[in-house]
Amino acid sequence: MEKVRCIIIGLVLVVLSGTIFAESEIPGLLRSGQYSQGALNCATQPDPIQQSTDAVYSVGTYPLYTPELAQGEGREIIQIFCRFCHSTTYITMQPPLPAATWEGVVNKMINTYGAPISEDSAKQIVSYLRAHYTPTTRKQ
Amino acid sequence: MKEEKSVTISRRLLLKLLGGGAVWLGLNKLTPVCAQVSGQAIEPLPSFTGPEANPYWGAVGQFVIYPQKLPLIQLTDRPVQLETPRNYFLTSFTPNAAFYVRWHLDEIPNGVNLSDWRLCVEGNVEKPLALSMSDLMSQFKSVSIAAVNQCSGNSRSRFQPRVPGGQWGNGAMGNALFTGVCLKDLLDAAGVKPGSSQVQFEGLDRGRGPEGKGSRNYLKSLGLSDPAIDETIVAYEMNGEPLPMLNGFPVRLVVPGKFATYWTKALTWIRVLTDLDTNYWMSKAYCIPNTPRGNTTPKDVNEGRVEMIPIGTMPVRSFVIAPDGSSKIPEEMPVTVRGIAFSGYGRVVKVEFSCDGGKFWNKAELGEDYGQYSFRTWQTTWIPKRTGKYILAVRATDERGNIQTDKGVWNPGGYLWNKVERQEVIVGAAK
Repeated sequence: MEKVRCIIIGLVLVVLSGTIFAESEIPGLLRSGQYSQGALNCATQPDPIQQSTDAVYSVGTYPLYTPELAQGEGREIIQIFCRFCHSTTYITMQPPLPAATWEGVVNKMINTYGAPISEDSAKQIVSYLRAHYTPTTRKQ
Repeated sequence: MKEEKSVTISRRLLLKLLGGGAVWLGLNKLTPVCAQVSGQAIEPLPSFTGPEANPYWGAVGQFVIYPQKLPLIQLTDRPVQLETPRNYFLTSFTPNAAFYVRWHLDEIPNGVNLSDWRLCVEGNVEKPLALSMSDLMSQFKSVSIAAVNQCSGNSRSRFQPRVPGGQWGNGAMGNALFTGVCLKDLLDAAGVKPGSSQVQFEGLDRGRGPEGKGSRNYLKSLGLSDPAIDETIVAYEMNGEPLPMLNGFPVRLVVPGKFATYWTKALTWIRVLTDLDTNYWMSKAYCIPNTPRGNTTPKDVNEGRVEMIPIGTMPVRSFVIAPDGSSKIPEEMPVTVRGIAFSGYGRVVKVEFSCDGGKFWNKAELGEDYGQYSFRTWQTTWIPKRTGKYILAVRATDERGNIQTDKGVWNPGGYLWNKVERQEVIVGAAK
């Protein structure tokens, strides 16, 4: 609801400002003072960490910004196995990949990196990736 | 009212059509990049690109904030991979707070206690060493070198067909003045015994995979006979400051001219080996086809015809940084076109600029020379004489005569991209 209200207010502002420019007497000034509700996020500035004078050099925790995986069968299996070593941004960051390529990636995780994924789970993982992250199926 | 009906084409679909069309016309190789900083601030970039090549200069991830860092472009959050936005490449030196980040494993240092930390030199040596930061700074001669650190997979998102891996745009690179001690001095102090073949480097990072697998340890090695060993330093300073935690505090390896895969972060073990290092990160990962320019095809890879060798030196590259296509340029206005160039093979001796997509080239003016391994800035004044669309292009030549071409490259790792870069700009009427 909040979002809808913001959008409506934004639209009203745009419309209002539009009428203001129409009356502008400044030659060449086509548009000015136009604003709209920011759709992109703004970020809070981080506060500097308090440092000690000893030999400890540290920073705070590293933030996680992990996009949601597509809803669908197999999603939980993915969350369990893939997230053990890495976040699922490793999936969402990829371009849409053919199913065979995804299968190769999953096999690499098992055979090369030693991920303890059973054959059955691996099949479910590949079929989830095929259903949501190939050139024909990827939506988000 | 019929006329006013319009078919809404989503931006994604439009990109797909454009990309598809370009592939069909065989023009994909010459496609200029789209503006990424833009004239508007409301519509987000698409959340992913592909299966066509990424049309933007950088990766399309969101801006994120990390400790000791300005907002950078996210590739991944665990392990952390962050790309430097384009505008930080206007200068020879990349600010530490904007320097890109790439870790392979997720257990990376948040804090280091220098009273316990020691840099170990061990293995096939006469006298193993364990050196504190203070020892490094006081017992060895300090040296400084300006050197480009570039991820092997920089620009991987340009590959066609796309390959899995970090989908970097062009910003997985940076140049810094690194200060530290010569690796050679450390090896000499420890006394390398006869029969040694390689030196292995290991940092403080660990993964959650099983012991002995690449998912547990990130290990890289250099041959003792590799000339790069003589120029390699163990750096405790970056641009006159301690290294950011995410860039390898307390010390990192600097291997001038080589891809960043060898620049071990949070370096803690220097191990002299008698046998060749066959660990995953040397024998399987970061390997390129043993062919000219590391080029091959998916077919040759699938049919097992490609011999793979560890990646090494960075090919010559250059970039247009400004104008970036975000502003329309009034005709007849003199515009300063600016960018950077570098090569791992030697000093950049020539940068050429084209305002017609690469038909005619003119020499650009080179900026200050900070040594053969540094970014070299370049600039030229360009006065667009007519309105319309222009394709700016840049190519660099190094002192060994290597010159960038329009030939792309394909290999399964997504490495060694160095094709001529292009930028589209629009010139408008000025009266």
